Amino acid sequence: MSRKTKQKLLRALLYLTLVIIAIIALFPLVYIILASFRTDEEIFRHALPFTIHTIVPVDWTFENYQIIFTQFSFWRPMVNTLLVVCILVPVNLLVASLAGYAFAFFEFKFKGVLFAIFIISFMVPTDSIALPLYSLISDMGLVNRFAALILPSVSSGLAMFLFTQFFRGIPKSFLEAARVDGANWGQIFYKIILPLSVPVFITAGLMIFVTEWNNYLWPLLVTRSESVRTIQVALAYFKDENETFWSYIYAAASISALVPVALFLPLQKYFVQGVTSSGVKG
Amino acid sequence: MKTIQQTKQSASPHKAKSRRRLEKLLPYMMLFPALLFIVVFKIYPIISVSVGSFFRDGVFTFRTYEILFGDQVFWNSLWTTLKMNIVMIPLQVVISLILALLVNNMVRGIGVFRSIFYLPVTMAISVASVTWNLMMNVNNGVFNSLLSVVGIESQGFFTSASQALWCIVIMATWKGCGYWMMYLLAGLKGVDVSLYESATLDGAGYFTVLRKITLPLIRRAMLFVIVANTTANMLLFAPSKMITEGGPQNSTNVLMYEVYKSAFRNGNMSRAGAITTILLVIIIITVIVQFKMMNDQDD
Repeated sequence: MSRKTKQKLLRALLYLTLVIIAIIALFPLVYIILASFRTDEEIFRHALPFTIHTIVPVDWTFENYQIIFTQFSFWRPMVNTLLVVCILVPVNLLVASLAGYAFAFFEFKFKGVLFAIFIISFMVPTDSIALPLYSLISDMGLVNRFAALILPSVSSGLAMFLFTQFFRGIPKSFLEAARVDGANWGQIFYKIILPLSVPVFITAGLMIFVTEWNNYLWPLLVTRSESVRTIQVALAYFKDENETFWSYIYAAASISALVPVALFLPLQKYFVQGVTSSGVKG
Repeated sequence: MKTIQQTKQSASPHKAKSRRRLEKLLPYMMLFPALLFIVVFKIYPIISVSVGSFFRDGVFTFRTYEILFGDQVFWNSLWTTLKMNIVMIPLQVVISLILALLVNNMVRGIGVFRSIFYLPVTMAISVASVTWNLMMNVNNGVFNSLLSVVGIESQGFFTSASQALWCIVIMATWKGCGYWMMYLLAGLKGVDVSLYESATLDGAGYFTVLRKITLPLIRRAMLFVIVANTTANMLLFAPSKMITEGGPQNSTNVLMYEVYKSAFRNGNMSRAGAITTILLVIIIITVIVQFKMMNDQDD
C-alpha cells in the first residue's frame, strides 16, 4: 500500500470514528426533541418493534408545549431562572474580574495565602457543602427567597481562576506605559484590560450562565413554592399521583436543554479561546 | 508669593503619600467582595459542618460518628460511592483523552465535531437524568427497542439492582467527557508541534510519541482533569434522586443521596453533617494528594 492511500484510509477512519461519536453524543438530545412533538400514546405504540417511527413522529403535535405552558405554567420557573441568572452573570463577572485583576497585577501582603484560599474554594464544589449552606441560609431566614438562590453563587472560583490566568498573560509593559502617561488603575482596567479580555468575559459569562441554568441540588433544597422554583427543579413536577406525563417532560426537558445549546453554539469560538488561554495547559 | 510656593511644595508630597497608601489598599479593596462571599458562603459552612459534627447538645463527643460507623447503610453507601468512582473516573479520563486527541487533528470540519462532542455538557444533569430514564425505560424505552433489533431481550436498566449503578456511570460519562476533553485539548494545543515532527522523523510510532512526548507534556492538564473530575463525581446526586431514589435495593444509594435523605427526609441533621464532613475529607485529601503528585513531578 502506498503512503498516499494509507493516509487516505487513515483519514476515512478518523471521520468514521468522529461521526459515530457524534451520533452517540447527539442521540439523546435529538431523541427528546423529536419525542416532545408526539403524544404519550404514540410513543408507546411505536416503541416495539423498532422502526423509524420509534424515533421520528408520525403526527407532529405542539400540544405538549401548549399544555406545559398553560396547565403547568412552565413559563414561571423559566422566568425565575432567568431572573437569577441575569443578576448573577454581571455581578459574578465584576467580582471575579476585580479579584483576577488584583492577583495578576499587584504585589501585596498575604497574596499567596489569599490565592490559595481562592483556589481551594474553587476545588471544593458547592454541592459538597449544600447541607451546612442550607443551615446558614435557613438561619438568615432566606429559605424560599431569591436571595437564597443568588448569594451563595456570587463568588465563582472558576471565573476568578480564568480571569487571573488570562490577565497574567497580558504584558506588564502595556500597563507601565499607561501608568507613565498618568492613567489610574480604574482607567487601565476599563481602557486596556477590558477590550483585551472580551473572550474571557464571554467564556466566564457563558460558564456562569450554564452552571446556574443547570443548577439542580441547591435550588431543590431552598425553593419550596412555585413562585421561586427554578427550571431544573420544575422538571420533576410533571406527574400526578397515578401518572407521569412523559411527553410533557420531553417538551420541558427539550426547552431546558436547548437554551444553553443556543447560547453555546454561536459563542463557542470565544469559549475555546477562553479555555485555551486559561493556562490549564502543558 | 513665597508662601504659596511653599504650601504647594509641601502639599504635593503629602498628596503623593496618601495616593501611595491608597494604592497599597487597592488590591485588598478589589479582592474584598470575592473574599467576603467565599468566607461567608464557602469557608464558614465547611468549618461549621465539620466542627458541628463533633458536638451534640453543645457537648464535644464522637457519638455521631460512633452511631454512623455502626450503621451498615452508611458502609454500603460509602462502598457504592467508591465503586462508582473507581470505575467512572479512569473511564472518563481515558475517553476524554481519546476525544481530545481526535479533535486535535487539523482536518476539515473538526470544529463542528468539537462542538457536538461538547453539547452533552451543556445539558443539565437533571435533564440528562429524566432523558436517560425515559430512554432506558423497561417497557417502551428506545434502548430496549434498539436492543430488540439485535435480538437482545429487554433489560431492566435502572430497575435492575445489578445494572442501575452502571447505567448511571454510562449516563454521567456520556454527559461529562466533553467538558474534560476541552481542558485536555487546551493542553494539547500548548504542545510544540515540532516536537511531534522530529519524533516521527526519528521513526517513533504513534503510541510511542503519545506515551513519551504528549502525555508528559500535558500532565498539568491531566492532573487538573483528574482532580476536578474526582471532586465532581464524588458528589453525583441527581440520578439517584430523580431516577432510582437510591434503589433498587439501595444499589445506587450514594453518599450525597444519603446526606439528602438524612437531612431532609428523616430530619437527622447530625448524621447528615457527619457524612458531609466525611465527603469533604475525601475531597480535600484527593485535592492535596494530586497536587503533591504534580509538584513532585515538577522537580
